[in-house]
Amino acid sequence: MTLYVFGRIGQALLVLWAAFTLSFVLLQALPGDAVLIKFLSPDFGLSADQINEIRAAYAVDSNIFVQYGRTLFNFLKGDFGYSLQAGVPVSAQLATNMPPTLRLAGLGFAVAVLLAVSIAFLSSMAPFAWLRNLLQSLPSLLISVPVFWLAIMLIQIFSFRLRLVSVINPGPWESLVLPVATLAVPISAPLAQILIRNIDEIRTRPFIAVARAKGASEARLLWKHVARNAILPALTIAGVLFGELVAGAVVTETVFGLNGIGGLTEKAVGNQDLSVLQAIVVISAAAFVAINLAVDLAYPILDPRLRNRAGVER
Amino acid sequence: MLRFPKLFTLSLGLLASATFATASLAADTPVKGGKFTYLEQQAHTNLYPPAGGFYPNGGILNQITDKLTYQNPKTLEIEPWLALSWQVNDNATEYTFKLRPGVTFSDGTPLDAAAVAKNFDTFGLGNKALKLPVSEVVNNYDRSEVVDPLTVKFYFKKPSPGFLQGTSVIGSGIVSLSTLALPFEQLGDATKIIGSGPFVVKAETIGKSLSLQARSDYNWGPAKLDHQGRAYLDEISYIITSEDSVRIGALLAGQADFIRQIQAYDEAQVEAQGFTIFAPSTRGVNNSIVFRPDNPLVSDLKVRKALSLAVNRDEIISTLFSKNYPKATSVIASTAIGYVPLVDKLQYDPEKAEALLDEAGFKPGADGIREKDGQKLVLTSYESLPQPQSRAVLQLIGQQWAKLGVKLNVLAGDAGSKVVDELDPLKTPVAVAMVGRADPDVVKSQFYPTNRNALVQKGGVSDKVKTFADDKLNSILEEIASQPDREKRLKAVADAQTYLLDQAYSVPIFEEPQAFAGAPYVKGVAFESVGRPSFYSVWLDK
Repeated sequence: MTLYVFGRIGQALLVLWAAFTLSFVLLQALPGDAVLIKFLSPDFGLSADQINEIRAAYAVDSNIFVQYGRTLFNFLKGDFGYSLQAGVPVSAQLATNMPPTLRLAGLGFAVAVLLAVSIAFLSSMAPFAWLRNLLQSLPSLLISVPVFWLAIMLIQIFSFRLRLVSVINPGPWESLVLPVATLAVPISAPLAQILIRNIDEIRTRPFIAVARAKGASEARLLWKHVARNAILPALTIAGVLFGELVAGAVVTETVFGLNGIGGLTEKAVGNQDLSVLQAIVVISAAAFVAINLAVDLAYPILDPRLRNRAGVER
Repeated sequence: MLRFPKLFTLSLGLLASATFATASLAADTPVKGGKFTYLEQQAHTNLYPPAGGFYPNGGILNQITDKLTYQNPKTLEIEPWLALSWQVNDNATEYTFKLRPGVTFSDGTPLDAAAVAKNFDTFGLGNKALKLPVSEVVNNYDRSEVVDPLTVKFYFKKPSPGFLQGTSVIGSGIVSLSTLALPFEQLGDATKIIGSGPFVVKAETIGKSLSLQARSDYNWGPAKLDHQGRAYLDEISYIITSEDSVRIGALLAGQADFIRQIQAYDEAQVEAQGFTIFAPSTRGVNNSIVFRPDNPLVSDLKVRKALSLAVNRDEIISTLFSKNYPKATSVIASTAIGYVPLVDKLQYDPEKAEALLDEAGFKPGADGIREKDGQKLVLTSYESLPQPQSRAVLQLIGQQWAKLGVKLNVLAGDAGSKVVDELDPLKTPVAVAMVGRADPDVVKSQFYPTNRNALVQKGGVSDKVKTFADDKLNSILEEIASQPDREKRLKAVADAQTYLLDQAYSVPIFEEPQAFAGAPYVKGVAFESVGRPSFYSVWLDK
């Protein structure tokens, strides 16, 4: 088991290095660079000589391998450099933007799970056939709602019409209500879909018939027998949905005017702000790897069969 | 008793002119105090003062820094501010400023001749070690001299008649020595910008919000303003809200007091609820499209003339804009210094345009697009994000040109591709141009090869230009930047406008405003001469 964990961590480091290198190469391949974008912008109106002096000062035209080595070395030291566009250290940008994104993503994900589980179980327990059908088709509806539109609708209705929550200068919790709702909807949809499918499938398995024959109630069947089995594939999807969460955060943060990694990424991509992008890529990759590692390690806890196999094979 | 009718007439005049809505009526007495919430569309970038041209940066720097001189936005005359008086030699190569005593930066250090000298040494020469670039508005700068603690003198290598006005612009905000000692890459942190302005940066969440606090000891506003002493407001809260509908909705729902950037199509719903639209002119080179004659497709004057004649400004303005976007009548705005009306050179005449294209040898091909020697008349342009509805404007021009058999591709593109392609006339034969500055130097800034080089002439940043350079144009532009005699200088500005339109290098579309909206109780809003807001005299009537 320890060996397995170490192996996975080694793998994770490899993935991080690959993400760093690949993003470096891709950003170099784009036309232009951050210095050019910043100083050629008409706000400065600089001459060719002046721009060349600045380019030399930032050493943007030096050998690509030297640049790569220097950037990698600084990263290993924990020095992410400066954002050329914003004019502040990248570490300061991360410090102001990480916590809100983590809060938003964490809460959004928790609400999404709650929503998905409620939809899935209600759709198999609800009293009327039409209601069950309605609940079963709800995820397809939710998945097709554009996040952007949903966000604007929520603001227009709850903030501007009903004036229940304030978007400008809200309190710490007030600021999260609408964004979390916006983010939770598209994340909950695929989760609910998978749960519904699994519940339906597992209910037809022979062991359910056996449990039912032994006299288990419907509720006990669902919670004790069906749920435990249905949750495993949903967990796998949950790990993958993290990517969706980051993508959703870009739109949510933009519309609600929140600061966070999403908005920071969007701006950095637009301006080819190399140091910011590299830091974000590496941190997102790290988060992705960590979540998937956590999911993998959670499997044996939920499923005794995997526990044995892990023990034997590794 | 004479006072009231005068003020009343003045107010009426202001209302009638409708460009400036500084409508503080005679009966109102400003109320002190209060917090003001301002929604900005984009986060500020680097706040090094010469980078203040970017709209969000200007909106902040204008509150926290003062300038040597104040350009009266109505008369465009230069008035005393931090400098009580000044002398310029006949040649415009030596400027002496007498400073106001007792002015301090918000960190307590004195704003004296040494500080002012250091500011202009940096703006005029740059600072290589700290990577601070040169300011666009300081031309031909040589050195400074501290004559006594309150007298500073600047020397120029060549005549620099635009320098006096240059000391009044946002890019010449005076900052403390501690700010100028920081490297460029740390100046994006607003809390590090120490000025002497009526407001001080109290706190900032980078990319999200900024909080300004009034300086209670501020007592050195522009000398001729009615309002003296500290600002009326206690606090200004800047909040970045990039989504248009959210900014407008928040304003109308009472969650904000003032917003920047409101598109023409949203004006009606704001005004219908009794809110005010402010659309101060940027008084510089009009929102235009320009040609890059190094590209063989537009190297022929006849082709450029034809394309210019085929642009229907009335249609663009009635379709996309409102009364706040006046139709262009020259290269520069009608409110700009040195403006000459040249309406007869800006006609819409599609028949003549077709005839000119026929004459130039571009004949309609099988697909309806004109071609000459196998070269199709297909042009490309990037949209310009800071300009209002730039994409829609270009697309509409594309439709107007399509009727002649000319195709215009409009690209969005990422910032990197845009910057690189804009340097290559073959890739971007057409571009969007516009600069705001209330001095004749603005024409040179826009078109001179070593400045913004809108036509992409040889001698600029681009290494893609093969031959194109217009020496006649450049000599007129040089005359504008270095002619000390005011009359002769204005003559050069007039020549430049005529020449640019005769050569059909530029197709001006409309006079670009900066659009804001405010709640009905927001009083005393003012704008500096190129449309950046000043909140010094703002007060809340509620």
